[in-house]
Amino acid sequence: MTSTPFDVCSAYEHILEDENISTPLASILALVELMENSAAGTMFELVKELKDGAEALKRQSSNSISLSAGTELFIEFVTLFPHDASSFLELKSELIRQGHNYVTEALSYRQKIADLAFDFIKDGSIILTHSYSRVVMQTLLWAHKRKRISVFVTEARPRGLGIKTAEKLTAAGIPSTVILDSAVAYTMNMVDLVLVGSEAVVESGGLVNAVGSNQIAIIAKAMNKPFYALAESYKFHRLFPLSQYDLPTHNSQLLSFSLPQGRTHRNSTASRARPGSNPPVAGIRPSDPAEDRKITQEQIARNNPDVDYTRPDLISLVFSDVGSLTPEGVSQYLVGMFAG
Amino acid sequence: MAANAVADQRIVENLASRLRRRQVVGSRASALETLLVIRQVVAKSRFSNFEQLVDIIRAVGRKLVEAQPKEHSVGNTVRKILHHLREEYNNATREVVPPLAGSFSIAKFVLQGQPRKQHTLVKAENKLHLKGDDPNDPDSFAKTLKPVLMEAIQDAFDELETVYDNVAKNARDHIHSDEIILTIGASRTVETFLKTASHYRKYTVIVAETAPSFGGRDLAASLSSAGISTFLLPDSSIYALMSRVNKVILGAHAILANGGMFATSGSMLVASAARVHSTPVVVCAGQYKLTPLWNLYHEYSQLDFGDPAKVLGFEEGDLVEKVDVVNPYYDYVPPDLIDAYLTNDGDHPPSSIYRLLKEMYDDEDTKL
Repeated sequence: MTSTPFDVCSAYEHILEDENISTPLASILALVELMENSAAGTMFELVKELKDGAEALKRQSSNSISLSAGTELFIEFVTLFPHDASSFLELKSELIRQGHNYVTEALSYRQKIADLAFDFIKDGSIILTHSYSRVVMQTLLWAHKRKRISVFVTEARPRGLGIKTAEKLTAAGIPSTVILDSAVAYTMNMVDLVLVGSEAVVESGGLVNAVGSNQIAIIAKAMNKPFYALAESYKFHRLFPLSQYDLPTHNSQLLSFSLPQGRTHRNSTASRARPGSNPPVAGIRPSDPAEDRKITQEQIARNNPDVDYTRPDLISLVFSDVGSLTPEGVSQYLVGMFAG
Repeated sequence: MAANAVADQRIVENLASRLRRRQVVGSRASALETLLVIRQVVAKSRFSNFEQLVDIIRAVGRKLVEAQPKEHSVGNTVRKILHHLREEYNNATREVVPPLAGSFSIAKFVLQGQPRKQHTLVKAENKLHLKGDDPNDPDSFAKTLKPVLMEAIQDAFDELETVYDNVAKNARDHIHSDEIILTIGASRTVETFLKTASHYRKYTVIVAETAPSFGGRDLAASLSSAGISTFLLPDSSIYALMSRVNKVILGAHAILANGGMFATSGSMLVASAARVHSTPVVVCAGQYKLTPLWNLYHEYSQLDFGDPAKVLGFEEGDLVEKVDVVNPYYDYVPPDLIDAYLTNDGDHPPSSIYRLLKEMYDDEDTKL
């Protein structure tokens, strides 16, 4: 053991520096490292340490959904692991080995998914994707080897990761165009299929993904285009949101109507009563009325969600390393793991 | 004997060419013929381990499927037999359930769920003493395994023999008194289903005549002679009558993994009309029609075409020269237009078809 106490969060950050490791896997690896550094003498203590570690990871992260999918899977596995180890130390090293093995194996899942999705992409397809997703990238690059595809990718505000997707695709020789998030409906008629990645796939079969996925799914449904989600099985998450606001990422600050500071109550009610007027945003000095009405991109991003929830009835299929599933099929796996 | 040589046998060749010439048509007939061929091949062939046997069956299956790729029940039958064989073989050879700790991993946990479920010990009471690749007696393996194989094939036979009745056994739960049912085509499964229901209920059937094969006419005659009140309807009037219909019952040619199906041409028309009036659409089909295929681009080329003479005969010689005539056998009906599948293995929504497929066939056989 080192003299400095082990910090699970910095271990997690360190692991994430590897471009190939996604958040759930990084969280699993962080917990494995925690286990390696743990002084726990019993299973009970170990599981408690793991749970505390998972909690600490969750607290430091702004978007904990896919991270929790990983930690919950690993902790559930640790508690249920059938073993014939004679000592606790032996069991612990076996669990550590299992963790490492899984991550190594899980790195091949994207290729498995790419293989599955490959058959669903017709030669000459025009594909719409959203933001940046490693599994979608791999699938598109894989499809490009044998088929002619062109890709529309949404800009995906506020992070603008769609541009990264387009750059990578262009570099690989795939014709691609960045479209505005607001131009999805305009584009949809030209599209053959929609392919998105995921933060998590929840128990209802719905999808949690970068904000904007939901509206793309709604438009795709309205225009009768297939909407496919790609998700590695470690992203299956035991969550049952009934609406956007049930996601753990939702908080009172998101989409809040803020009152300008220093205004009297009377004024603000008057401005709110006027239909069509944009509510001013907090944090601006009231002294300058022109400055008062300026809204910065940062303010907008702060008030807006990072992820949204797409209902299962809008999703045609979920491609995962365990097979191509209808959205309902996801719950079968979650129930298998978490309910006995 | 090499697997490919087995597949070149007279009997396989014979069925392949009959499939190719469309002398064997219909999903049940093809499934039955396939079973017969496989039974004969297995009975005659020599193999000294399990892999050889699987190779032989696969080679035969591949040959038949290539002869007529659109008769999906051929491939399904082969896959089903392979699945049965593996099951029997595993039951017969498994000594004890392997210790879990070494083989359990997170990936397995995700795939199979909690570990204690795997603890169910398979009781191998009449365990066979199988020994593959015995140099002294290369036939010993085949000798011990063959009775089990024949049993598996016989099971598949029995299932096909009784399929109509088994689909129909819950007919009275689906058809109520005084209902008006609409159907199209001449499916034997649907015919048995309707006739079974008529033992318990009085109801009316409207049969679309299903041009250009006019199978609907035969079905109407048959139902009418069984004492069911029957109307025959031109295909063009399906939409007009749909508002009066309580339920649509269709037959299927093949059911696909996404829950969609291939069915006699006109089915799509019926299903779309039913959707407008929110009329439930149920499909009666035997399990052997479940096909592990995700049909995505159900285009023209995916369809199977019949004799154009039925649409435009050669007596119209002048016209025949000037127009292209097509007569597709099947329609693709997407899963969202179908409410339920009634099979000999229970009733299922389209969304769970892929799960049935996973249980019925082994993934490795999807491509024969």
